[in-house]
Amino acid sequence: MSHSHELVIKSSMSRPPPPPPTTNKDQQRQNPSLQEINIKLIQSGEKERLKELLRERLLECGWIDEMKALCRAFTRKKGRNNVTVDDLVHVISPKGRSSIPDSVKAELLQRIRAFLASTAD
Amino acid sequence: MSSKISGRVSPQPCPHLLDFCSRNGSKPFRALQDCIRVKPPGGRAAIRREPFEVPRCGTCDESSRPRLYACVACAAVFCHAPPIHSHASAHALSVPGHEIAVDVDRAELFCCACRDQVYDRDFDAAVVLAQTITSTTSTSGSTVTQCKATGSQPDNLRKRRRVDYSLWAPNSRENAIIENHSIPLHDATNGSLISSTELPWGLRGLNNLGNTCFMNSVLQALLHTPPLRNYFLSDRHNRYYCQQKNGATRNGSKNSRFCLACDMDAMFSAVFSGDRTPYSPAKFLHSWWQHAANLASYEQQDAHEFFISMLDGIHEKVAKEKRKTHSPGTGDCCIAHRVFSGILRSDVMCMACGFTSTTYDPCLDISLDLEPSQGVSGKSSLAKSNNSCNVEADCTGSSQNCGISTLKGCLERFTRAEKLGSDQKFFCQKCQVRQESLKQMSIRKLPLVSCFHIKRFEHSSIRRMSRKVDRYLQFPFSLDMAPYLSSSILRSRFGNRIFPFDGDEQDACNEVSSEFELFAVVTHTGKLDAGHYVTYLRLSNHWYKCDDAWITRVNESIVLAAQGYMMFYVQKMLYYKASEKQAASWCDVRK
Repeated sequence: MSHSHELVIKSSMSRPPPPPPTTNKDQQRQNPSLQEINIKLIQSGEKERLKELLRERLLECGWIDEMKALCRAFTRKKGRNNVTVDDLVHVISPKGRSSIPDSVKAELLQRIRAFLASTAD
Repeated sequence: MSSKISGRVSPQPCPHLLDFCSRNGSKPFRALQDCIRVKPPGGRAAIRREPFEVPRCGTCDESSRPRLYACVACAAVFCHAPPIHSHASAHALSVPGHEIAVDVDRAELFCCACRDQVYDRDFDAAVVLAQTITSTTSTSGSTVTQCKATGSQPDNLRKRRRVDYSLWAPNSRENAIIENHSIPLHDATNGSLISSTELPWGLRGLNNLGNTCFMNSVLQALLHTPPLRNYFLSDRHNRYYCQQKNGATRNGSKNSRFCLACDMDAMFSAVFSGDRTPYSPAKFLHSWWQHAANLASYEQQDAHEFFISMLDGIHEKVAKEKRKTHSPGTGDCCIAHRVFSGILRSDVMCMACGFTSTTYDPCLDISLDLEPSQGVSGKSSLAKSNNSCNVEADCTGSSQNCGISTLKGCLERFTRAEKLGSDQKFFCQKCQVRQESLKQMSIRKLPLVSCFHIKRFEHSSIRRMSRKVDRYLQFPFSLDMAPYLSSSILRSRFGNRIFPFDGDEQDACNEVSSEFELFAVVTHTGKLDAGHYVTYLRLSNHWYKCDDAWITRVNESIVLAAQGYMMFYVQKMLYYKASEKQAASWCDVRK
């Protein structure tokens, strides 16, 4: 269920990035908005690379297997024909978001920060 | 339109999809197929877009929503973010005929009115095709479609069709024949020796002839391997007849002097005779020494090595007699292969161009690595957060969560796609150079009996540098092998697609049942050079410990806690195949 990855990225991204260390130059520049960050990530292709990295990490730590198991359990309970993609996303999102290992979150945040720093005007 | 392939039901199209297809000709998604982009080669499929293009929702201009759908009818892009809102659904409701959309990031069809994923066979086939690069040569059987068309899979799997099981009971004439030519097991001749009700039939200790517990442990497992036991007890290899035949050739060739199958036959007769005094498999040991001369000594040996060696020995003798060529996987050559032989599939994909090379190899067992060291930060923190949340699903489904090595975990790792190191570059036929590759194993055909060998002994070329891995491995009593089959592995490689695996229809007779039951566990305790093998057998759902000459009944918890070295699982359901011969007698039907 790769949908859930995106929700997680979004929730970590909805936290405002920490203010950059203030220098004379920086004081004149505003913090980039979520939209702007996202566009930069997509246009440079970095978002795809990050998604691949995230998939790999979540596979390694068993998160994907766990989400699959939750989906299977839910589908078994409700019946295969009574379940939609939206239902599944709704059911596993809370558990999914909360069970991402801290190390994975940290690694991705660090990469995003590094990327933004490297592409700063 | 829902069809059953190997027990899998293809999802029914929703009314909107049906409507769309009927209104848009025979290839409704033809234009969409041209927009599929696969990146990196052999990787995930998405809808192609310009490098600088950022898909945005036509209604709210958002680009950061997790799911963006492009309407197949008008190509407009909308977001889908329940429960907040879904502009994709709004579009579907407002414009009739515009219900079907495609996920721009995943190239998956979605019905915005039903709010659920839908599948179209042609579209999925096109996506799968784009993901597996086609090659002009058909010999290596690289692509899915070519596998379907040219049948590059082992063709000996298609030989015999499945027949329905029909119950057989002997009539009076057959009864007479049976009575005259066999010794009833509960006969009075051995009455004094038959133990009361303590141990089930066929349990008999095996004397240790000098560090031969490696042999005794494997023999106990084989003596109670159902298809093997049935074969020998129903006189399929008659040792008197075999010796008579071979006695004729007195040219002094090695083969005529010993026959492991004959010795097995003698052992089965002895063990199932009702006599409970421990049996000495001296003749068998001697014959095996003839076959595996390099292992002939009273030193301790590896049970797994012995297992492979003796199956090989049976094959050599029996196959030669039957003059059957070694046809891997079907087991037509000898009983050893019939019972234990399966087929492994290996896919190696070039990471530069996506070209995949597929090979099939027969195997008598599956050797599994134990997990490398536990306690990597990612794994441990997942286990931590796991405890604080309400886990609905069965924890054993995901081995890493619990922090214990499990057999399922080993199998998952065995069938996981693995990046071959840069020192192991594979020669790509398409690129014509050595490239970094991705390798994935899967099980093409399951054997009747699966033997899992856990690699606990790490040998180096100098024997003194070997060590034993003592880590505990959890193993289940029942095992479903479906997730490790080639069909499942390939399906998961391509994600949510209608994916008819090559030869699915034919597979129905081979692989309908993937459920296995544990019946024997060979365990090892002690050090590498000074250890002891013990076998646990499961008979009538009771467990028995076979420690050389001593057999005792034990609780299943003892077995579960034991250090498994070789685990034997048998298929729960056995299927019959029509006989090859014209006159089908009952003894030709495989049981």
